[in-house]
Order: sequence, then C-alpha cells, then structure tokens
Amino acid sequence: MARPENAEHEPPAAEELFAADAVVGRDLARVDWAATPLGAPSGWPQSLRTTVSILLSSRFPMWMAWGPDLTFFCNAAYRRDTLGQKYPWALGRPAGEVWAEIWDDIGPRIDTVLRTGEATWDEALLLFLERSGYTEESYHTFSYSPLRDDEGQVVGMLCVVSEDTERVIGERRMATLRDLGSDPSVIRTEQEMLLFAGRQLDRNQSDLPFTLTYLLEDDGTARLAAATGLPGGHPAAPAAVAFEDPDAVWPAAALSRSEATLVRLDGAPFAELPGGAWPEPPTQALVVPLLRQGDTPYGFLVAALNRYRALDDAYRGFIELTAGQLATGIASARSYQAQQRRAEELAELDRAKTAFFSNISHEFRTPLTLIMGPVEELRTRLAPSDEHVREELDVIHRNGLRLGKLVNTLLDFARIEAGRMQARYEPVDLATVTGELASVFRSAIDRAGLDFHVDCAAPDRPVYLDRGMWEKVVLNLLSNALKFTFEGSVRVATGERDGRAVVTITDTGIGVPAAELPRLFERFHRIENARSRSNEGSGIGLALVRELVGLHGGTITADSTEGEGTRFTISLPFGAAHLPPEAVAPHTPAGAVSASADPYLQEALRWLPADPGAAAGADGADGVTQPAGETGAAHVPGPAARARVLVVDDNADMREYLTRILTGAGYEVDAVADGQEALDVLRTNVPDLVVSDVMMPRVDGLQLVAALRADARTAAVPVLLLSARAGQEASIEGLRAGADDYLVKPFAAAELLARVRANVELARLRGHQARWRTALVDSLQEAFFVCDDTGAVIETNTAFTDILGYGPEGLPYAPIHPWWPDADTDHEAHRLVSEAFDRLRTSARGSYTIPVKHRDGHRLWVTATFAQAQDPDSGRAVTVGTFRDVTAEHYAIQRESALAALATVLSRATSLPEALSAALGELRTLWRARCVLAAVFQHGDTPSLTATDASAWQDLTAERRRALTDLREQAQLTPVADHTGAGILLEHPEGPLALWIDLGDDRPFTGEDQLLLSLLSGHLAQGLSRAHQIDQQRETALALQRAILGPSRLPDGFAVRYEPATQPLEVGGDWYDTITLPDGRIGIVVGDCVGRGLEAATVMGQLRSACRALLLQDAGPAQTLMALDHFAAGIPGAPCTTVFCGVLDPGTGRLTYSSAGHPPGIVTHADGTTRLLEDGRSIPLAVRPGTARPEAECLLPARATLLLYTDGLVERRRRPLTAGIGQASEAVQDGRNATVDDLATQVMDRLAPADGYDDDVALLLYRHPAPLEVSFPAESSQLAPVRKALRSWLGQCDLPPGTVQSILVAAGEACANAVEHGHRHAPGEIVRLRAEALVDDLHLTIADTGQWKPPQPELNAHRGRGVALMRALMQHVTITPGPSGTIVDMHMRIA
Amino acid sequence: MTTPLSLVPGRCADGRPRLTAAGEIDMSNIGALAQALDDTPGPLVLDLTEVEYLDSAGLSVLFAHADRLELIASPLLTPVLTISGLADLATVHATDDPDAPGGLPGRQ
Repeated sequence: MARPENAEHEPPAAEELFAADAVVGRDLARVDWAATPLGAPSGWPQSLRTTVSILLSSRFPMWMAWGPDLTFFCNAAYRRDTLGQKYPWALGRPAGEVWAEIWDDIGPRIDTVLRTGEATWDEALLLFLERSGYTEESYHTFSYSPLRDDEGQVVGMLCVVSEDTERVIGERRMATLRDLGSDPSVIRTEQEMLLFAGRQLDRNQSDLPFTLTYLLEDDGTARLAAATGLPGGHPAAPAAVAFEDPDAVWPAAALSRSEATLVRLDGAPFAELPGGAWPEPPTQALVVPLLRQGDTPYGFLVAALNRYRALDDAYRGFIELTAGQLATGIASARSYQAQQRRAEELAELDRAKTAFFSNISHEFRTPLTLIMGPVEELRTRLAPSDEHVREELDVIHRNGLRLGKLVNTLLDFARIEAGRMQARYEPVDLATVTGELASVFRSAIDRAGLDFHVDCAAPDRPVYLDRGMWEKVVLNLLSNALKFTFEGSVRVATGERDGRAVVTITDTGIGVPAAELPRLFERFHRIENARSRSNEGSGIGLALVRELVGLHGGTITADSTEGEGTRFTISLPFGAAHLPPEAVAPHTPAGAVSASADPYLQEALRWLPADPGAAAGADGADGVTQPAGETGAAHVPGPAARARVLVVDDNADMREYLTRILTGAGYEVDAVADGQEALDVLRTNVPDLVVSDVMMPRVDGLQLVAALRADARTAAVPVLLLSARAGQEASIEGLRAGADDYLVKPFAAAELLARVRANVELARLRGHQARWRTALVDSLQEAFFVCDDTGAVIETNTAFTDILGYGPEGLPYAPIHPWWPDADTDHEAHRLVSEAFDRLRTSARGSYTIPVKHRDGHRLWVTATFAQAQDPDSGRAVTVGTFRDVTAEHYAIQRESALAALATVLSRATSLPEALSAALGELRTLWRARCVLAAVFQHGDTPSLTATDASAWQDLTAERRRALTDLREQAQLTPVADHTGAGILLEHPEGPLALWIDLGDDRPFTGEDQLLLSLLSGHLAQGLSRAHQIDQQRETALALQRAILGPSRLPDGFAVRYEPATQPLEVGGDWYDTITLPDGRIGIVVGDCVGRGLEAATVMGQLRSACRALLLQDAGPAQTLMALDHFAAGIPGAPCTTVFCGVLDPGTGRLTYSSAGHPPGIVTHADGTTRLLEDGRSIPLAVRPGTARPEAECLLPARATLLLYTDGLVERRRRPLTAGIGQASEAVQDGRNATVDDLATQVMDRLAPADGYDDDVALLLYRHPAPLEVSFPAESSQLAPVRKALRSWLGQCDLPPGTVQSILVAAGEACANAVEHGHRHAPGEIVRLRAEALVDDLHLTIADTGQWKPPQPELNAHRGRGVALMRALMQHVTITPGPSGTIVDMHMRIA
Repeated sequence: MTTPLSLVPGRCADGRPRLTAAGEIDMSNIGALAQALDDTPGPLVLDLTEVEYLDSAGLSVLFAHADRLELIASPLLTPVLTISGLADLATVHATDDPDAPGGLPGRQ
C-alpha cells in the first residue's frame, strides 16, 4: 500500500478506515458519524483509527466503545457470535442503548475500566441478551480493557469476548443425563425408578422448569406418575388424561404418532405456573413420548421449556434423551417384574409338565417297542452285510433305548404318583446285588480316567428289595457321579449302621453348592452352570431315586462340599415289616443284571471321549447329537432383536450345521473357517457373539480369544468355545483364555441355543452399560482419552477427534503422540508437553495447560486434566483424562499480558527513541526472538534502524534489507510471516516503520502470533505517536520555560533552584527573578501562582514580565506589588498569587522589600543567628486591588545569607510551616562553608521529601557581599586600580585591617607575577581576579593565560620573595601552572 | 597609570638625610623609589609611615640598600617587613617609636 506523505495529518477517508472488513466496514461507513459525539471519521484521532482498524481486522469477537457516549463498534466475529439481530442497528449507537438489557451487569464494569484504567476479566458470566428476538440466557467470558486517546486519557474500552453459552448449558444438561443414568442397579420397581428420576430432573430446573410423567394405562388413559417443579394438584397436572380427549390439557393422542409435540402454555390451566430456576414462568412445553421398542409408548413426558433458550436441536435432543432415559428405566423395572412373574409361572409349568409326561408316556411305550423290536432284528440280520447300515441302525437303537429309558422313568413317576407302582420286594444280599450293578459302570469309569472302588461288605441280614427299582437307584447315582466327576475316584460301599443297611456312593467331583443341597432331589431341578460332562438330563433322576428309595421304606441324603465331592447315603431298614405284605415275595435266584442297565451305560459312554472301539464314537459326524424335535426354533424364544453371531469352525459341515441352527433361531450369522479370518472380519464389524471351535489351523480358538481380549474394541465381545475335548483342563484353559462359555461336543442344539442366547443377553446387558458409557464419553464437549501404562492413548471420544483431528482409526497412539509439537522446530513447546506428560505418568491426578498440534498443523492450547484409574477388566493401571480447548482463553490472556507489558514499557519511556527501543525489547522477550528490528523510512532509501542487538542498517544482510524495504508495500498492521520470523508495517511519527521479528530458527509464527503482532503493533503505533507528542510538548515546554522561567544570567552572589511538580514539564506556577536595575541595585522577585503545569506557567510568565517591567521603571517593591494587584486582577488564574519583591543594594547590603502573602525570607547571619523578613507583609495579589502595601527595609550584614523560596520547599502535610522554615534555616547555617551555588543544592536536597517534591519549588539564595570579579590587562599600571577595587570589596566583608592588608599583598603579588612573568612577551593579555567570601572563609583566585617560570631566587631574589610572601600571608596557596595559563588559588580563614 | 607615590627628600632633626614616602609601592613605581634612594648616598632614614601598600617589588629595592637604611613604618607594613626578613637587615622603627628619628618640622 503506498502511503501518502503526511498521512498523520490527512486521515484516510471513512471507506479506507473501515476497509479491514468488507461487510461490517461497509455498514460502519454508512453510519452518520457526524450525528455522534465522535464526529466525522476524518476528524478522528489516530488512536481511534488504530483501534477501529485492529478491531475490524481481528477474527476474535470484539466490540469497543469510544467517547463520551461510549459509541459502539464491533467486528464481524462479534456480530456473528453475539450481536445477532442488533446488527447493523447497533453500530454508532451509545453502548448503553445497544446493551440496555444487560447494562446493570456490564455498566459498572465499564465504569471501573474508564475510571481506573484497569482491565476486567469475567468468566462464564450469565447475561440475558436480547439479540434474537427474545430474552436469551447466555454466558460470556470477556475482558474489558481501557482504550486511550492520543493524550493518554482513557476514553473508551475494548471488549474481547468468547461466548460460553453452549458449553455451560451443555455441561448442565449433561449432568442431568449423567445423573439419570447413574446407579440404576438399586432400582427395582417402577415407583422407585420414577422417584429416583424425579429427584434428578428436579435438580435441573433451568432446562426443565417443571416436568410431568404420564404413563398409559390399559384403559387408554394416561395417569400422572411423577411430577417435578409443579406443586401437587396444579391444574396443569391433572391426575389422568384421556387418550382420545381432544380438549385434554396434554395431547396424549399425539403419542400414537410417536412424535414430540410443542404446547403453548397460554390456556387457563397454565395460569400461575412456577418459573423453576427462572424469574418468569415457562411459555412452552415439549410433550415427548416415552418410547417402547416396537410397541406403543409407555406414556409421555411433559417438559416445560426454559423461556430464555430457543428450542433448538440440542435442547430438543436433551429432552428426548431424558425421555429415553425414563423409558429405559420403566422398561427395566417392568422387565424385572415380568421376570418375577415368569419364575412363578415356570414352577406351575413344571407341575403341569410332569402330569403331561406321565399321562402320555404310557402311550409311547407301544410305538417304542414296535421300533426297537424290528431294529434289534435288523441289527442281527444286517450286521455282517454293510457296516454303514449297521452304524445307522446303532444310532436308531441307541436313541431308542434312551427314549425308552426316559419314558420308563416318567412312567415310574406316574405310577408312583398314582400309587400304582407294582413292587415285588424279595430278600436279597445287598452287597452282591449292589456290587454287580456297580461293575456294569466299571468300563465307563475307567475310560473317564477315574478310579473306581467297590467296597461291599455284606450285612448279616437280608434286605428286601425290588430288583428293578434298585437297579434304577444305583445306576442313576453312578451315572450322576460319572457326569460330575472329572478327576479322582468314584466309590461304592455297603454296610450296616445303627441297625439299618447303608449304601454310599461317593465321588470326588465338583460338588453341590450348599444352597442347592435342599433342592437336590426336587423334580426337574437342575443346578445351573454346574460343570458336567454333559448337559443332557431331564433333572428327574435324583427325584426318581428318592421316590424309589422311599418305596423301600428307606431314606437318601446327600453330603457335599463344593469342589471336593459328593456323597449319597441310602439307608434301608432290614426285614419286611415296613413293606406291604402283598408285595413281599420269596427270594428268587439272581439273574444277570437286567437289560434296563444298558441305556444308562450307553448314555454314560457317550459323555466320554470317543474311542474307536466304543460304540459311542460313531454318533454323528462331529459328535453332535441332534434329537428330533429340538432343532427348530419353536421351543427356544428368539432374540428380541436380531443379534449377530460369528461362527468360526474349520469343519464345513459343522459350520453349516451351526449356521442352520442359529439362523433358524433368528440370529444373523456370519461364518468363517479359522481364527485369522475371524479377526479380519472383527476389525470392521463387531458381532454380538463369537461361537468358535477350539482346534483350528492358523489361529486357533484360544489364540482368537486372546487376540480379541487384547484389543479394546473387541475385548467385550462374548466368545463361546466349542470343543470335543472333555475334561476339566480343557475347559479351564478355554475359560482362562477369556472365553465366556465353553461347550463340549457332543452337544444338543437346544443346549447350544440356550448358551448362545444367555451370552448374547448377558453381553447386551453389559453392552447397555458400555453403550451408555460410550454415549456419555462421546457427548462430552471435552476431548476424552484413556492412556495405558505405557502412555499410549488407547481410547478417545468424538470431541477428541474434533479438537485434535486424530480419530479412533489411528488407535492406539503411542508416545510420543503425534499431536506433540515438533521437537526440532518448536523446542520450547515440545519441552512443555514432555514435562506435562511426565507428570501425567507419575502423579495420581493433575491439570496443566499445554500447547499441542492439530492434525492439520495448527497450534492449540489445551488444559489437560487427568487421573489415574484401574481398568476394571484388565486390572491394569490406566490414565483417564480430558483436554479442554483453551486456545482462545490462552491467547486472550497472552494478549492482555503482552498489551499490558507493552503499555508499561511505553509509559515508562520518556522519549520517542526510548519508547521504540523498549517496545522492541518487549517484543523480543515475548517471542524469545533472536533480534527485533525496526526500520523507519523518513527520507531517501536509507532508513534509520533500531535493533535489539544494536546493529545498524549497513550491518544487515542485503536480503533482510530488501525484506524490510518490501514491507513498505504491505498494508499497515497486516503481518507477513516466513520461516525465519514475521514482519509488519506500522505508523511511526517520522515515517512508515517496518518491523521484523527474527525468530532465528525454523519456528512457526502462527495465526495467533500474527494476530497478537498486529494488536501489539497497533498499540505500539499509538504509543509512539503519544511519545512523539510528549516529546514535542516537552520541547515546547522547555523552550517556553527557558523563555519565561528566569534570567539567563544571574548577578554575582545569587544562586537559584527550580523544581516543578509536574514531570516531565519543567515549568510550573512558581518563579524567581533577578533584575539588575540601571543604578546597580538588583531587583529580586520570588512568586507562586495558584495551580501547576503549563497553565500556571502561562500566568506566571505574564506576572514575571510585568513585575520585571515595573521594577525597571524604578518603582519600589510595595509600589510594584500594588501595580501587580491591578495587573493580576485582569488575568485569569493570576489572583491569589503570592510574591516577595525586593530591591537590594549589593554594595551596602540594604534590602527594601514587600511581601504579597508570601512566606518570609530568611536571613542567616555569619554568627549563625537568623532573622525572618516578616515586615512589609500583606495579602496575595489581586485580592484587594488598590489597597496600599507596606514596605520594609533590612540591612544584610557582611557574610549574611538571604534565602527566599516558595512554599513547596517548606510546606508539608501535618506539619506547621515554622518547622519547615526552621529546617531551611538550619540547612543554610550548616552550609556556611559552601559556595552559594553548592548551598542551594544542599538546601534542596536536605528539604526534599523522601519521594521528591510534590509541589513546585522555587528557591533563591544571596550571600552578601557578592563575590568580586575583576578582569584587567596584564600591565603593571593596572595593579593599583585592581587593588583599590579589592580593598573596597574587602571593606564590605567587614574584616580587620591587618587581614585586609595581608590579602591585599598576597593578591598583589599574584597579580604582579601574572603581569611580570605570565605576560612579559605579550603585554595586555587579560588577568582575572575573583574573590569570594564564605561565612568563615575567603577565596581568592587569580588566573592568567601565560606560563610562570619556576622561581629562580639567585637571579631574581625579590620574585621568589613574592611567592614566599603569599604563602606566609595566606593560609593555603595553590599555584597550578597549565598549558593555557596559571591559576593561583588562595584561602584565608576569616571567622 | 602609575601607582601614586610621592617621595620627598629631607633631613632628620639630627641632620641625617631622610626620605619620606607616601602612597603605594608596587612594580609600577619602584623605579622612582630606586632612583630616589640612589640619589641619596650614605645612611638614610626612609619614612614609610604614609605608605599603604608595599609588595615584594618594593622590598627588593629596599633590600639593595638595606645596610644603610633606617626604616620608619606603620603597623600595616610590619608583617611584610618581618616576613621578608628586611627587618633583620635594616633598623625598623614603628611610627610611634620615641626612638625613631624625628623629622624637621615643616619639612615633611
């Protein structure tokens, strides 16, 4: 931008002034500024123009107010974020009008800024704005800083603001949702849940001034179930709302559409609504359905709306989430109740089932017999022909046996219950019968790897048993022992105890939990989750055993310790007395164990690992039993929603089989061939359950589980392992690897489906918590992260991605994290983050603010808050933390402090170069720059350079010189940055200033840095302009002062001092003056005008001149003051000036004086006594013009000192004037051996207050007589006249004649030497003699311009005699020869 | 301008030659003093009672004739005569010394 010359004096046109922003600038230019107190922009001061320019070019929301009406300006960002509909109306209006609605809040803050010049800071302040057509709840973090005009006066303020409304309200709503979701475990009933929810909703009456929860009843009415914020019985909260009633208070019918409905609260029922957290009641309410999955809603929630917020998507979303929480709570409570009911129904069902089976079992026997008979026949006939046919027949046979056993058992029950059991009790040897039965199981128990002990001692008496029933008892118990025992032994023993026969069957199996023992013999009771060789079983075996033992008059008990084993003890009476006589039969010879044992054995063998030799091994391709009637989904309730199951098996048939079963049960199934494929699928798509084989190529089932558990995304996926390996070790191994369940082949389809369903539901239950946690974490506005113990970030949320740009797809992020600032290019920032990271890993909790780098490279400042925690799943230590984006706050604070620091150095500077130099130093510190350069282009091409390293323009590289020169082409206050630093052009009073910040290394100069630089440059330009003005003012003032303060040359014997109170001006209202009158007398004036500074100085100047003129007209002091009375009366500010006016005859010491209200002069005599010049006093000037003034006279004795002064010298607060006068007298006395000039300095120093004079001080000293100064040509004829003058002066000093004679001779010798030696070759040169009398001492100085010869007595005896005479007559003689002359100094004590 | 000095030759009451000086003696007029002394050979009474100033230039003239001079001086000159040592070489009478050689009446 070409800069016009004298831009300072030709302000840019309004368009140019506002050009920094196209839109707001245009609207600012349209404002009729002439109608505002600021006037047309052409007349605006530099400071205003600079500030407006910074404002418009900033991307931060800012507004400012300037001038007496606080005229309003703002920038585009502020318009967008805060001003709303007030734009452009607000521009150029008084700020108080623009923000009338919040003026009570912000007005006092602005007043403070204007009054004190100190900035304010408010964080998240609640303000009710009217910018969107309604009164709006909003929160703002802002700072008001003072704005100064060209004179440095505070005339306005700048507000940098960031709006927090979204954050504050978002956090408040989040808290409500979080509370609603907290600890649902304690909630059992619907009523409890509604009470709990009510308490949470009631705590947020800001967003929910009141709420009503209605639940639909079966009769179509909605009943009020809960209310918050509204007193009971309020017309707006009817107890019931009819679903179909169009006039109902709340539109229940809208629920059928499952939509939220907005209701205006303006009818009769809504009179006198409470306001909740607000002063005014709500005007609208949102009615939202409490949705039920796939069904009509549970009811609806009425949520009154905060009238100070618009119902935007976020608000609507909050209410819908709240309703969703309520609906979930209701669903949980109802589901719990439903479960309770179902348990009761199941018990009833069990009873019905028994009856049913009992009734029909009988009917099964015939067809079964018709099947088994031919099968047996076929097996015999076809056995040799075809092995395949034989195998299939074996399957039919085996399952036929099993079915027959089941039917028989059920039939037994039916018989027992009906009392129709046909028993035949015969006396038997219990030990033999039992031992034979046990031996049937030996092979099966051996194959299971268990020890089998049979210890049957025969009682000495027979026991009556029904053989068939006894077989069932023993076989059932053995079968049971084998099923639940994985290692150790099974023991069968018989004996006698307490007169009864006893049989015990003991195993070392898993045992029965103590809680389950009482129900062990209940029908259909099965111990859930018990580990066993098979889950087959109807749960009626033990029940039947007890019934059968009971029929024998015996009892059965079980003792068990979980994990150690179980012992069943059967106790039977001897004899037959307890048995019905018709059922007692004589002993028959013992046959082989009946065929009924076969089904038990066959079943038991199938639980055991396949043995090629065993018949059980040929049961289905993979050992899967699939009984008819159990494959369909009909009996197994399908999942509520289609859950996804991943099937992993390398066997294609098994895969298809599993897929078929699961699909049939309503699952969505994916099938893959091994663990590796499964992992590939899982990375993209996480199923609800994985069903996997254990043995697989590549990645086997256990490795798959391990891999899933290691990955946070899949750690929670349930896994059901299938294995052909029975045995405790195998299942423990699977479970230890992290599988959720373990199923041993062969298994029934129903078993699989039950396990699948259980796991899916369990996972869903867990998943609900996990999903809620994920939603909660994702809804945080702060970036959320979890670090593992290596510092790697393993989990993040949506805000994390938003703030840092790094999404979950890159997880885990190992340290050093990619958002760390670069160690090479941004070492300092990197160090900050590194230190913070160390703290994060070593402290339990903490918070710190650090710079980080967004993925796109831009710099962010975040406040990280973290805490150590333990992962409940893995037990590993993790760090949970959040990042809050505080970039705006950080830079706002940095800007404030940088501006304050700059303002401080600028205010301290006393000149323009000093200001610039100090500011450059400040910039260098701020950016830790290598160097900061400022080139001011005045005239010609060589600018004047100021640099922090003191280099000159010539020292710079050609490149740097060109860069600085090129900056002149830039727009003002627009930073330019490259990899070495940044530059900017700004206004310097002497010409354009190109500023360059040399960062010295490859460090980024960010957008924030640029903004800060332009702000600081704006302030710097203003500061320089101000410094320049002050420079000019001071120069003017100094010139003025020199012109008006006092005489340029004082008569001999006088000393004066002047100390103005107002710095840096060196003028004020006090003055002194001496006027040498035509007759040789001297006029002396000391005066004091009212006021200070330039204004008082102007008055003073006029009075001084007038007084001088009057004295020169030979007026006496009194006469002069009377004339001044009249003069002063006509000058504003002059009345009440105090003046001491005197006329001194320096020859005689006679002083005539008059005082116009002035403090008395002090005369200090040679003997130390003092006298105050208190006569001749009257009132200050112009108080009574025309009144005669008195005049007094005083004779100053020899070596007396006269002190005149203004009150600033002696007047102190809380101290009488006389104290100051006494102190001044003492100072004069103590300075008796000082020259009058030194004495003046001593007096000023001694009387100065600790922190300097706070009032103008003028001081005038005269010591009588004045020193004598004589100059004469170096000729002997001059000696006599000089001697005469000296004799006369010595006479004034009042000295004894001998002393006078000594001084005369000594001075005469010195003068003669000067004449004779100093100037023998150049007669007529000037010799100077000066004599000064101090109080106790007399000084003589004789100086010539020649060179003395050293004394040569042998040649010129009398000359040598001259020096000897001087030394003899005076007390101290010093002769100082020099190239330019010889000086003789002599002292004599005269006290 | 030469420093004013009057030198009046005369006789003492005892007939000795006497030179009466009045005024001030400095380097500007010692020539006249030397000439007057040279003009009067033999013992000489030099009356300096009326001399208000005498410096080393005047003393040097007097030293040259010290052995034949008898001086009469006011107390004002005493320090100079004493300090310079002239009083040791020449007889010095105070003005009011009764032993001082008196001048002839009317010849002063």
